[in-house]
Amino acid sequence: MPPETAARPADVVCLTGVHHRFGRQQVLKGIDLTVRRGECVVLYGSNGSGKSTLLALLSTRYALRQGSYLLDGLDTTRHGDEARDRLVFVGHHTHLYGHLTPVENLRFFADLRTLSPSEARLREAVAEVGLARVADKPSRWFSAGMRKRLALARMLLANPSLLLLDEPYSALDAQGVAWLNAMLIRFQENGGAVVMASHDPERVAALRHLPHHLDRGILTPAPPPPRIEEPPSC
Amino acid sequence: MKFLARMQAPLGVLTLIALAVGLWMVWTAPADFQQGGAVRILYLHVPSAKMSLFCYIFLTIVSIIHLWKRSETADILAEAATAVGISFTGITLASGAIWGKPMWGTWWAWDARLTSMLVLLILYKGLMVLRHSMDDPAKGARATAILAIVGAVDLPIIHYSVVWWRTLHQPPSLTMAEKSAVHISGPLLPPLLAMSVAFILLGVYMLTLKARQIEAQRKLDALEAARLHHE
Amino acid sequence: MLKAAYRIAWKDVAGDFRRRATLSSMLFFAISVLVVFQAAFEPDRKEALRLLPGLLWATTLFTTLVGLGRVFQAEEEDGAFEGLLLASVPRGVIFFGKWLGNLLLTLLVELMILPLTMVLFNVDVWRQTGEILGILVLGTVGLTGLGTLLAAMTQGARSRETLLALLLLPLTAPLLIAGVQAMAGILTGGEVTPWIRLLVIFDVIYLALTPWAFGWLVEE
Repeated sequence: MPPETAARPADVVCLTGVHHRFGRQQVLKGIDLTVRRGECVVLYGSNGSGKSTLLALLSTRYALRQGSYLLDGLDTTRHGDEARDRLVFVGHHTHLYGHLTPVENLRFFADLRTLSPSEARLREAVAEVGLARVADKPSRWFSAGMRKRLALARMLLANPSLLLLDEPYSALDAQGVAWLNAMLIRFQENGGAVVMASHDPERVAALRHLPHHLDRGILTPAPPPPRIEEPPSC
Repeated sequence: MKFLARMQAPLGVLTLIALAVGLWMVWTAPADFQQGGAVRILYLHVPSAKMSLFCYIFLTIVSIIHLWKRSETADILAEAATAVGISFTGITLASGAIWGKPMWGTWWAWDARLTSMLVLLILYKGLMVLRHSMDDPAKGARATAILAIVGAVDLPIIHYSVVWWRTLHQPPSLTMAEKSAVHISGPLLPPLLAMSVAFILLGVYMLTLKARQIEAQRKLDALEAARLHHE
Repeated sequence: MLKAAYRIAWKDVAGDFRRRATLSSMLFFAISVLVVFQAAFEPDRKEALRLLPGLLWATTLFTTLVGLGRVFQAEEEDGAFEGLLLASVPRGVIFFGKWLGNLLLTLLVELMILPLTMVLFNVDVWRQTGEILGILVLGTVGLTGLGTLLAAMTQGARSRETLLALLLLPLTAPLLIAGVQAMAGILTGGEVTPWIRLLVIFDVIYLALTPWAFGWLVEE
C-alpha cells in the first residue's frame, strides 16, 4: 500500500483506484474518494452512471476486485464484518420484515450487530422518527414514507461512522424532507460521514455538502447539475 | 480461448482418425465366449462412462477456479463441460440399457453403477437448468459453480450408499454380470484402450467446440446489451 | 454471534406462527400426500408396516420441499435479504440461522406427521416411536441443511419450486436410502448401525460445507 493512502483518523472513507465490472461491462473506472468526519458527499449522475454500484461497494455488499477501500482505517476486504458494523445503508429497499413491529424490526437489526439497546432506547428511536403511535403494529401496512422513516431509525440506533443513502428523499413529503435534513445535519455535527446518491439538488441544498459528478464510471468533484425538469412533488 | 481456437482443427482431424482406428479394432476384435457380439457395445459404454466422470471432475476444477479467480474463461469451460458431460452420461445410460437387455434380460437394474449414473444425469440437467433460470448471468454462474462442488462431494456418498443398499438386497447373479462387464481382459483390451483414447479426444474436441460457441454467444449478448444501453 | 443465528431463526419461526403460513401448509400438504399413498397402494395392515419407512420418508421429503420454497420468502420482500447480508456477522452465521429456523419448522411438522401416519395407515409401532423420531431427526438435519443452501441458490430463479425439487431429490438420495433402511431395520429387527453412521456422515459433511458455500454464493 502506498503511504499516501494510509488513512488518518479523520478519514472515514478512503477509496483508491477502484474499478468494477459486470461481466464485460466496465461500470466504475478508477474511483478515488475520501470522505472525512462530518462531511457529506452527494453523488449526482444519470441512471446507469454507476452510483448504485459505488454505494454497494461502499456498503461492502459488493466485494472489491481492484483498488483499496479503508473504512475508519480498516481494510474492508480483510475485516468485512467489522466494517459493516460501522456503516448503515438505506437504499431503495428498506429491509423491513412486514410481520415484525417497528420495535421488533429495530431489535432484529441490533441483534445482527454488536449493539444491545434497551427496550426504552428502541422505543425512543421509533419515537424520534415519528412512529411512536404504531410502535407495536406489524409494519406490513405502513406507507412508503413510514417505512423510510423506520429504516432511518437504524441510523439513530447504530450511530455509525458512515451513512450511505440511495435517493433518500424519494417517498418523503416536504415535511419529511425537512425532518430528514435536520437529522442529517445533526448526524454531521456529531462527526458522522454521509455518502448519498441523489437526483435532487434542491432538497440537498439545506445540507453542507460536497457535490460530485459520476459519469460513465468516472467520479469528479463538480457543482450540482442544473435542474432540467421538475419532478412531480410527492 | 485463443489457444482453443487454434487447436480446434488439428484436434478434430486427430479425433476422427482415432475414432476410425478404434471402431475398426472393435469391429475386428473376437467375440467374447460368454457375451458373444454384445460385448462390442461395451467398447462404447465403458469409455463414455469414464468420460462422464472425467467431465464432472473437470467441471469441479473449473468451478473452483471460477469462484476463486472470478475467471470468465473458467465459467465458459464449466458450462461447456456440463453440456459435454450430459451427452456422455446419456450415451452411457442408453448403451448400458442396450447391453443389459440381452445380458441381464432387462433394460434396467438398480445396481450401484447405473443408479449413480442416473443421478449424475439429473445433476447435469439440474446444473443446466439452474444456470439458465437466473436473470443475472453472474449470479447464475456462481450458483452453478457452487452446485457443481456440492455435487462433487455428494456423488461419492451417493455411490457408496447405493453400493451398500444393493449389496444387502441384490441377488448375486447380477453382481456377477456386473463384474464381468468391467473386467475385460486379454484380446479385448487393445480395442478398449483405442476407444478410450478416441473418446478422450472426442470429449476434448466437443468441449472446444462448445466453449467457443458459448464464448461467441456471450460476446453477442454483450454487444446486444451495449446497443440497448446506448439507445 | 450465535445470538444472531438464533435471532434469525426466531424471526422466521415467530413470523411463521404469526402468519400461520408455512407450518399449516406443510402439514396439510403432508396429509394430502398420505391420502395419495393410501389411494395409490391401498396397503393392508401387514403391507402398511413394511411400507411405513418409505411412506414416512417420501412424505417428509415432499413436505420439506414445500417448506424450503418459503425459507427465503420473507427475505424477498423489500430487499430484506440484502439487509441481512449487511449484518456484521460472518455469512456462515446467517446461513446457520436460516437453517435453524427451517429445521425447527420441519421438525414440528414431522412430530405431527408421525402419529398421523400411524393412525391413517393403521400401524401400531407406538413402542418404537422414539427410535423412529430419532432417525427422522438425523435425516432432517442434513436434508434441511442442504435444502436451505439450495433454496438460497435458487433465489430469484424462474420456476423455482420445480428447480428446487430437481436439485434436492437426487442429492439427498443417500439420506432417503439410509433413512428408510435404518427405519426398516428398527421395525423388522434388521441392521441399523451402518445406516445411522451414513446419516451422521451426511449431516456432518453438509453442516461443514453449506455455511461456507453460502458465503461464496452471496459474495458479489
